[in-house]
Amino acid sequence: MSGYILETRDLALAYGGFRAVDGVSLRVKAGTIHSVIGPNGAGKTSLFHCLTGGRRPTEGDIVFDGQEITRRPAHARVGIGMARSFQVTSLFQNLSVRENLRLASQGRDGDRALAFWRSVAAGRAHIERAERIMERLNLTAKADTAAGDLSHGQQRVLEVGMALCGEPKLLLLDEPTSGMGIDDIPVMTHLIAELGKDHTVMLIEHNMGIVMSISDTITVMSRGQILVEGKPEAVRADERVRAAYLGEAG
Amino acid sequence: MLRLPDPKAVWGGTTVAVLAVLILLPIVLPSATLATEIVIFAMAALACNLLLGYGGLLSFGQGLFFGAGSYLASLAMIHGHLGLISALLVAIAAGAAIATAVGWLAIRRTGIYFVMLTLALAQMGYFLAYTLADWTGGDNGLLDVPRPPLALFGITLADLHGAGAYYAFVAALFFLVYIGARRVIDSPFGSTLVAIRENETRAAAVGFDTRHYKMLAFTLSGAVTALAGALYAMLINFVPLDNVAMQMSENIVIMTVIGGTGSLFGSLLGAGTFVLLGEILSAIWPRWPLLLGVGLILLVMFLRGGLWGGVESLLARRKEAAE
Repeated sequence: MSGYILETRDLALAYGGFRAVDGVSLRVKAGTIHSVIGPNGAGKTSLFHCLTGGRRPTEGDIVFDGQEITRRPAHARVGIGMARSFQVTSLFQNLSVRENLRLASQGRDGDRALAFWRSVAAGRAHIERAERIMERLNLTAKADTAAGDLSHGQQRVLEVGMALCGEPKLLLLDEPTSGMGIDDIPVMTHLIAELGKDHTVMLIEHNMGIVMSISDTITVMSRGQILVEGKPEAVRADERVRAAYLGEAG
Repeated sequence: MLRLPDPKAVWGGTTVAVLAVLILLPIVLPSATLATEIVIFAMAALACNLLLGYGGLLSFGQGLFFGAGSYLASLAMIHGHLGLISALLVAIAAGAAIATAVGWLAIRRTGIYFVMLTLALAQMGYFLAYTLADWTGGDNGLLDVPRPPLALFGITLADLHGAGAYYAFVAALFFLVYIGARRVIDSPFGSTLVAIRENETRAAAVGFDTRHYKMLAFTLSGAVTALAGALYAMLINFVPLDNVAMQMSENIVIMTVIGGTGSLFGSLLGAGTFVLLGEILSAIWPRWPLLLGVGLILLVMFLRGGLWGGVESLLARRKEAAE
């Protein structure tokens, strides 16, 4: 083991003639918070789709924790230790917060939940994990509230919590602060920094402030390729990054 | 605070109501045969509910499973001289197998295409039954279906020729199926099915291979529907081609919706209402399905939770008024 939990080699995703991801070789070191940023259309989301199994890359491969997973479907990545959150909140809206988290815990065991003769109550481990994570997210008071009735900020927090229930080695977060109010953002920043202590986190983010304050490594993407990679200070100072973002503004 | 669902809860709540209805039906209704018909269709609606109400899967293949159960149990008794329990087991196994195959194919698509696939497969089943007239009797139906006594290891336990005795047998089976279905819904599998109904993308993202869950839902639904079909054939001693027709799928879905999707007790209410309305209205006016159509429109517009949903909100209102 090289100390890298996730590695992509010359990864490419083409939509027809357009190469949204164009030869990305990325390495995420275990135990770090690694952010991917870039202007709109840089290919961040497409890269994320390849990593989570939503899209099959057209070229290159992905190695996770020593296993080649390039063509693995999304559901089969959970059992080996990957979990994700969605940019647009994706919860079980009509189910309680507790049940959302319990289901997410149950998902870690994949097809074992096909046991139709057993009782949900027998899955104590799932129920307990849901309770633990609810406490960690400060949502215990809302345990019986339907996920759809939570405030937007709480829904974003639950969204991250769903991924945590998979007890992942790598947490893939897709713009966790998207749509969050200015008052809620510090809660999320704090949560991600907390999670970074015992998980490897890979983050796609638009909000530069968050990225700069919590990341160990930052990869800047532009036009489907890696522009710059390095520590936050180095990235902040880099001329090419400024140019890329200015290019977006202009 | 850690609150666990109570595994014994299966025996409370609506289970008591179901038991009461099963006991009262033959007493209140003019004939035990009518009561039997209601309970048989309630079983089919309950199986449909597992797919539609819990899995969010609208299947128009239910008639195929029902018809297959009717034909195969009957043929097994007529040509294979099987007894009651063996014939029912044949129906259950065949229903499970056919439904698994239908599910395997249909769940490759979602939404309207999924529905169309179940419809197309059911239509194939219908024409297959129509074509194999040597076996099924084609348009004339399969005649002289026996109703063997209830026997275990060659020992006769009960003669089921009387309408009352047959009702008791069917009601007992319904109760077992109902308890089984409640267990299934309270299982990890049942909760995952609901998760898939709520948000399939999220269900896959937390690790569930959603296709396996949908397929198992089909298998279970098909097994129970085919059991209902077999019981129906034994009730009327006959398998009409209608049993496997589009109309049957439609009726089963309508009963489920009338009763309330997502409520097992609702299936009993839905089947009861449907069969009774048919019985009463068809005597007055042969074009009664027209009225059924109007009723269904009203229900969908004003009582989305079906009859059981209506009962629940009434109970809630009374409780509020009392407080």
